[in-house]
Formats: sequence, C-alpha cells, structure tokens
Amino acid sequence: MLRDRRTLFMMIGAPLLIMPLLFTTVIKVTEAQVKKAKTKELKIAVLGGDSAPEFMARLSSEERLNIFTDIVEDSVRAMTANETLDGAVIIPRNFLELIQNDKQATVRLIFKSSESLDAARQRIEAIVTQHSAEIVTERILRLNLDPTLFDAVVVVKEDVASTRESFAENAGGFLPYLFIIFGFMGSMYPALDLGAGEKERGTLETILSSPASRFDVVLGKFFVVMLFGVSTALIAILGVFIMVWQLPSMEVDIRAVVMDMLGAQRIVFIMTLVLPVTAFFAAVGLAISIFAQSFKEAQSMMAPLNFVIILPAMIGMLPGIELNYVTAAIPILNLALATKTILAGTAEPILIAEVYLSLFSLAGVSIFACVKWFNREETLFRS
Amino acid sequence: MIKVSNLSKDFKLNRKQRREHGDGQMNRKTLRAVDSISFECQPGRVFCLIGPNGAGKTTTLRIISTMLKPTEGSVTVANFDTLENPKEVRRNIGFMTAQTALYDRLTPTEMVQYIADLYGMQASHFEERKNRIFSMLDMHSFADRRIARLSSGMKQKTSIARTIIHDPSVVVFDEPTTGLDIMTARRIIELIRSCREEGKTVIFSTHHMSELRLLCDDLAIIHGGKLYFQGTTEQFEAEMKSDSYEDEFVRLVGGA
Repeated sequence: MLRDRRTLFMMIGAPLLIMPLLFTTVIKVTEAQVKKAKTKELKIAVLGGDSAPEFMARLSSEERLNIFTDIVEDSVRAMTANETLDGAVIIPRNFLELIQNDKQATVRLIFKSSESLDAARQRIEAIVTQHSAEIVTERILRLNLDPTLFDAVVVVKEDVASTRESFAENAGGFLPYLFIIFGFMGSMYPALDLGAGEKERGTLETILSSPASRFDVVLGKFFVVMLFGVSTALIAILGVFIMVWQLPSMEVDIRAVVMDMLGAQRIVFIMTLVLPVTAFFAAVGLAISIFAQSFKEAQSMMAPLNFVIILPAMIGMLPGIELNYVTAAIPILNLALATKTILAGTAEPILIAEVYLSLFSLAGVSIFACVKWFNREETLFRS
Repeated sequence: MIKVSNLSKDFKLNRKQRREHGDGQMNRKTLRAVDSISFECQPGRVFCLIGPNGAGKTTTLRIISTMLKPTEGSVTVANFDTLENPKEVRRNIGFMTAQTALYDRLTPTEMVQYIADLYGMQASHFEERKNRIFSMLDMHSFADRRIARLSSGMKQKTSIARTIIHDPSVVVFDEPTTGLDIMTARRIIELIRSCREEGKTVIFSTHHMSELRLLCDDLAIIHGGKLYFQGTTEQFEAEMKSDSYEDEFVRLVGGA
C-alpha cells in the first residue's frame, strides 16, 4: 500500500500539505481583502453638501475618498449600480437647520451591497457615526447635561472562560472534524484496494486458496486499513501544527494556547477516541469494498457514506451542541464533542466513559459484521 | 490426488437473479450449479474438466480449493477433506487462472515472497525454490522490477512462479489459457506438462476441445452442472461417434 501514490497522497499529501496550504491561503486572502477594503480609493458622490459644511469638511479630509459634488440625484443610483461610483451620500437641504435646532437629521447612503468588499458603506457609516457622536457630545456640553444620561445601563463584560476554553468552543470543533474526515479518507483507498481491488486483479482467489484462514485474511486487511486511517488522522494533527506555526497573523498568546492544547497527553487521549472510529471506518469500508464487484462499483457505493460521516461531524461544530448523556451515545458526534471538551480541559469522566463505550461497541460490532460478511460466499463471489 | 464424490453445489438466488433466470425459476430460491458429480484425479496425470461457460467448472475448482463449500457430497485433496481440513488442503494446492493475479506495485521477487509467507515457507527453502523457478523461467533479469512495468509474458512467468513456489502436490488451473496469446498459452501448457512430469496431480478446466489432444490424460465433460462423460482420453476417442472432439461434445450434451 505504501507504493500506491493515491493512498500516499491521501495519507500524507492532503493532511500535511494541502490542508495547511488551503487554510493559510484562505486566511491570507481574507486578510488581504480586508486590507484592500481599508485602503481602496473610493469615488463618492455627495449631494447637498452645501447644507452640511462641517460634515462635508470631514468627508473631504478623509484619505482615499474622492468626493464628487457635481452629479445630479437622478444619476447616482444608476452610477452606483454600474460601479462608476462606489456610493453616494444625499444630504437634505435643511440638514444644518435641523442640527442647529438640536433635531435629528437624516442622510441617505446609496451603496451596492453585492460589491464584494462593501467598503463604501462601511467607511461612510463610520464617518457619519463619528460625526454624529461629536454633535451629541457638543449638545450635552452646551445644555450642561450629564453625559451618563443617555447610557442608563452600562454593561461591564467579565469573561470567566479561559482563553483555552474560548478557543476550544469556537475553533475546537474544527479539530475533531479534521480527525474524522482524514481518518475516513485515509482508510478509504486502502479499503477499496484490499477488497474490490483484490477481486479486480484476481489476487483474492490466490489469497483464499492459501493456507491463511479467512479470519486471518480479513483481520490482516482490517488492520492495514485501520493503520492507514489512524496514520492519516495523526498526520492531520501534524498539519494543524504546521498551520498554527506558520500563520503570521495569529497572536502570540493564542498560538501558545493552541500549542498547549495540542500537547502530547491530550493528543494521545483524543487518539484513543479516534482509534475505534477509524476501526469502524475500516470495517465498513472493507465490507462495502469486498461486496462490490469492481473498484468503480465500490467507489460509487462508498460515496453516500461521506454524508453519514460528515453530518454528525458538522453537527459537532455547531455552537450550542454539547456533550451530554444523549450526544455521548451518538457515534462520530460524540467524538467531535468529546474532543472539544478535552481540548478545553472540561471533560467529564462519566461522559467520556460513555463515549468510549459507544465507540468501542460500534467498532466491535462493525469488525464482527465485517468478518461475518467476508465469510459469506455470496459476498466474495457475487455475480 | 483429488477425489470428488457426489458433489453438488447450490447458490442462493436473489429476487433479481430469479427474474433473470426466467419464470420457471421465480419460485426457486437456489440454483444448482453442480449436480452430483464424481471423479478422481491421479498424481502424475492431467485431468481436464471440459464444458462451456456456465457449466460448473469454476464452481467445482473453487470447491476443490476450499473457496466454496459443497452443498452435498465431499472432496478430498491429498487425502485431506476440504471441509474437515481446509487449511491442509490449501497447503497442498497451487491455484492459477488466466488472470495473472499479481500486485502491480510489487516486484516478482516480492510477489513470490509474499505467497511463500502465506504458505509459511522456511526462508532457506524459499530461496532455493525461488532460484530454481526463476532460472527455469528465465526471470532473473526482471526479478526486481515492478510488475506494473513488465511485459505480459514476464507477468505470466511471475504468475507461474507464484503458483508453484510452495511446490504444491496438486495444481488447479481454471481456464488458464483463455484470452492468452499463443506464446503465453504455450508457456502455460509447458508448465502443466512439467507438473505432470514431476508427479503432481493436475486438474484444469477449459472450454477449448483442442486442448484435449495437447494435454489430457483423463477428462470429464460437464454441462449444466452434470457430468456427461468421465474417463481417459483413449476411452473418449474409442467411444467417439462423431468425426471431431467438438462434434462429439455437442452430441453428448446435445439433449441437455
């Protein structure tokens, strides 16, 4: 199997290179887009600027903002829609009068939300908000009012969650998702090769006519498939290390927390949970593969299995889904949730024990079923 | 020696297969692939199982090599019963089909080593046997090249080597020449002859009557799971009522 390029790619290439490369690229592209949005030269039409000299002065002093005052109102919407303009601000004629009389004035902002960066709306809104805050402050001072009058209740936030807990809750769901997906992907190609591949090559008959018993043959295949699945999951963890290590934008303390979370003891703990899940993948993959008459048929039969695996793994990533007596019994979902609690350092022994019981039972049943399945003549020589 | 006694094999039919087998089969849950057949293959002789596709040849050979279990009857190979001592039966068997049945990613040396490991061969015995076979088949020049990069002739030689590496006393060939070119088919025929000369029990299936003349000492004609003739090649020729082997075959099974 170690000479099969596809298997090697799925086991080493994908988790170690592609995955970190993919995530680093996504993060860097996002950062670049945010930077681009902030530094983009915007073309903004301002109508009725004469009615708001102070606001106009603020707009004009803003960097990378080109103001156009000679465009008529009838054209601004069309020009914004066809992206000749990035946006437009329409100030009412009575703006100054309303402000001076301590009334509320309205400015209309024309923008195109489908424009990917949404830079015009964000930057103009920020200027308006700042200008409005300055007017309110001036009014409070002039009227000799207590500034706290307008903030009846102030919330002082105090987060008792440690950085590790917060990180585990927000990003921790992603890690088990990786283990599950890569454990599954890593075991599928060997399973295909050692079942349907053997049939297609004709080597299955050679093996079956040797003194090795069927039990030995199927168990040998099972352990090879499982080994590849577990190795792929482990390499995926290495991929996460590389990803965390090479992300320049990650804050130092967050990086330290992540590295601490991925300590050897925790990884070993998590791998003891990954092991039975991979055993389940190996048994199911092998059973399907051995039933199929060809490699192609096995591939098409395994495709729906992706959804069965991915769905509980994705549910485990959703906020609000927690490890309890019910979720601890649901295979794959329980692995995802248990990993989150292990990473956060909040794992409850009784729930973890239930997860072990659920996963090892599933692994045991699937291995037993796979061995029984392999012993059926109708499975091996289906035609 | 192989002894087949009153051997029958039924296969379970699923709903789709019952439909495909026609209305008459809709109420039957099984299909009888082999029906009460008996024959013996002696050491140092080549036994041919002749019949058209679907006659029950492969099923019979798979039962002999313990891949399938008989529904009725019994099979003994080298005095071991296939049900009671399947492991010993397999230890005495070499199995070969027209498919080379090789792992592309291994070299011929690794391939035969893998098979030798499955048979639990001693390292020294393996080395000696491997060198003898590789010399006999002129395989040393490509022994360490990946099988994927070998020509079909080289692959066939490797397939022969892996079939006989453990020096089996019984060699089973399931349609070994089907779909092969003349040169490769001839190499297989030479192998079958050399197995006979070494005193091995050889059974091979074919649907080519022409291979009768080339190889067979004993033969059985099988059709629809039943035997229509069993005896020596000389007996078959003596009892022939047609001009050719093919015509005689059609005459024998014609009413079936």
